[in-house]
Amino acid sequence: MTTSVAAPADKTASGFGRFSFSLRDAGTLIGLVVIVAVFATLVPGFLSERNLINILQQSSINACLALGMTLVIISGGIDLSVGPTAAVSAVITATLLLAGTPIPLAILAGLCIGVLCGFINGVLVAYVGLQPFIVTLGTLSTYRALALIYTGGNPVLGIPPGFRQIFNGALFGIPTPILIVAIVAVAAWVLLTKTPIGEYLMAVGGNEEAAYVAGVPIARTKITAYVISGGLAALASLILIGRLGAAEPILGNLWELDAIAAAAIGGASLMGGKGSIVGTILGAIILGTMRNGLTLMNVQAFYQLLATGLIILVAMMIDRATRGRG
Amino acid sequence: MSTVARLRFQGITKAFPGVKALSDVSFDVQPGEIHGLLGENGAGKSTLLRILSGVFKPTSGSVLVDEKPVAFKKPMDARSAGIAMIHQELQQVPHLTVAQNMFLGHSVTKAGGLLVARREQERRAAEALAMLDPGIDPGAPISTLKVAQRQIVEIGRALLDKARIIAMDEPTSSLTPSEFERLAEVIARLAASGVSIVYVSHKMDEVFRICQRASIMRDGRLIDVVDLSKVSHTDVITMMVGRELLQDAHVSHATSTVKLQARNLTSPKIRDVSFSVCKGEVVGIAGLVGSGRTELLRLMAGVDRLSGGSLEIDGKPVTLANPRDAIAAGIGLVPEERKRDGIVPGRSVALNMALASLPAFSRSGFISKGRLKTTANDLLTRVNLRPFLLDRPIRLFSGGNQQKAIIARWLAARSDILLFDEPTRGIDVGAKSEIYHLIEALAAEGRSIVVVSSELPEVIRLSDRVLVMRDGQIAAELPREGLSESAIVAHAIPGVTETAPAA
Repeated sequence: MTTSVAAPADKTASGFGRFSFSLRDAGTLIGLVVIVAVFATLVPGFLSERNLINILQQSSINACLALGMTLVIISGGIDLSVGPTAAVSAVITATLLLAGTPIPLAILAGLCIGVLCGFINGVLVAYVGLQPFIVTLGTLSTYRALALIYTGGNPVLGIPPGFRQIFNGALFGIPTPILIVAIVAVAAWVLLTKTPIGEYLMAVGGNEEAAYVAGVPIARTKITAYVISGGLAALASLILIGRLGAAEPILGNLWELDAIAAAAIGGASLMGGKGSIVGTILGAIILGTMRNGLTLMNVQAFYQLLATGLIILVAMMIDRATRGRG
Repeated sequence: MSTVARLRFQGITKAFPGVKALSDVSFDVQPGEIHGLLGENGAGKSTLLRILSGVFKPTSGSVLVDEKPVAFKKPMDARSAGIAMIHQELQQVPHLTVAQNMFLGHSVTKAGGLLVARREQERRAAEALAMLDPGIDPGAPISTLKVAQRQIVEIGRALLDKARIIAMDEPTSSLTPSEFERLAEVIARLAASGVSIVYVSHKMDEVFRICQRASIMRDGRLIDVVDLSKVSHTDVITMMVGRELLQDAHVSHATSTVKLQARNLTSPKIRDVSFSVCKGEVVGIAGLVGSGRTELLRLMAGVDRLSGGSLEIDGKPVTLANPRDAIAAGIGLVPEERKRDGIVPGRSVALNMALASLPAFSRSGFISKGRLKTTANDLLTRVNLRPFLLDRPIRLFSGGNQQKAIIARWLAARSDILLFDEPTRGIDVGAKSEIYHLIEALAAEGRSIVVVSSELPEVIRLSDRVLVMRDGQIAAELPREGLSESAIVAHAIPGVTETAPAA
């Protein structure tokens, strides 16, 4: 150590809140570019504007879930209950619509159901002190059961066109699901990188004990993450029933796995304290691209599953091998 | 005593980058001898034990067993040479049985190595324990045993390894007096059977009670090997601490305005503690590890809850339900375990600084990067952060610079009562004096400071007044005048109060 006390002021605080495109995000982007390039050479018309928009639209539901999942994972938790949360929200929204409830009110109710489901998860994690994996494993079954009991196991059919137009329409030639998810992504990015709650999420996931000693409101921070995850699961279900015109109580089966995969590919650490909104969106698009490309190549579903699994593992191995250099 | 020593340290020197932990340490232990190893924290006892158990290799010098030099490449080598370590923190797997723990890593097997011979293990474990404590059931889960019994199980494990040298690192730190008696008996019996024991402890009367000779270490050197029947407690303490005191630079900024008043604080580990801290005053808290110093700070920082007593700040009572309440009341804790309780490793040093006061850095819900940058620049310059890279993750900084960032955190939160728990633990010498100057500067500005430290020169260097804790209580309050290490030790260590000189 020297005795110099010189403090070069020009070197300070260069990256706060600026659009920080980290090395890790750059890696995810390169992965996406490689995958797109491979399909572009193998599949004629893969790079057409229509197909690219298709990919984004197909990725939108998973991206929506993965954004909430990313916040939960950053806080050091996990949310396995997003699929059933979406199902409960979908069947209730659909029933309300069929009963003639005004569309904005039905949407609001659906989102509130998701928020409530997330709130219950958050309270069980933060105040009761149960492990997030176990809590959301329990509510995964519970919420699914509620959706099945509520509908008697039958799909709710005949969702009005006015509603479908909102979630399955287009604005300036871009499908609304893409626009909705883009807005949500920007909001999540702002929340994570520009607000105290975002920093609290990072701190609680990075070192909960230190965050506590530093006065961070631990419980409130965790509950916020689960509430957002629940709300976004509900939003994803609205997009889906808008597209299908029906709400099935079994919808959203295994959604949690795709959402976790997208977050992990995007750089979220399941240990908490680490994750990126940009990365998660890219991760969701990578998964969507794989599915789209393989389908266009007429690859059987079984092999698509295989390819998706391998992509996740390869992504994690690259992540592991390059960690620490960024 | 025989001329063939069981164990001999010959000119052991151990250098770490920048530090000489041991220099030229030589002494011997006879067969069947119980040999005390005494010294303050940091005197080099642990380093010596780690060399004995094969964790470290000496830079120079050699370890001789039965007068034959041994060179251990790994801990397993020491174990097979008949050397066993019994650590202060017992290394046992709680839900396994006594026998399973005793055979951990080298199970007795049957059926060609496929199955663990559980019965056989329990039989042999019972055999080894019979001489130590026949009351221990080898089939019981280790978690159902008391600490003292668990320690005896460790000794039994050493016997199974046919250990002829057993090193015990503060084995009685969590034992009650009657449990100590039991352990002392076991140790005496072991020695009578020819096992040599190296016994490390802070507790003077225990060492005098069970050891014949003791080696006294200070600053990595062997001061003397004494025959305990020929010296007094005071002689030993003087040898342990008798270095030049670092009190040259102490300047007091204490006023007579009481800032913080603690009345009858009580918790599971703290009993009825009352004291006050004035504006500009630095109050030192000394005492052995486990005497309740850290617990007291955690209570005052709202990290743990009080079960009784009250705190007043500026004459007004405050209730601390969590650290946030304490921070709002102007109290900030610089914790001992920086990695566990202090830093968020992956976040930048500036954000770590801002963590306790993020709302103050925010404008309508968004963190203002301008405010963050300005404050980080000011405060981290003030604490002399090096390298001065505010965006760099805090985990990449040295311990001293992490500590500076935590101090800056409380400056950012405008805390005027700062609680330091071992402020220079794990910090190199250069940064140490920086931290001292910083603490003095904070006091000069009128802040009230409490410093807990195991390093007596540090306590003496910094404190305007010293509280000595023992068994969760304040055993003595010593004024600045006449403050000395031996006076503090006399009050901190049970059993030497009578014999120590008045300060």
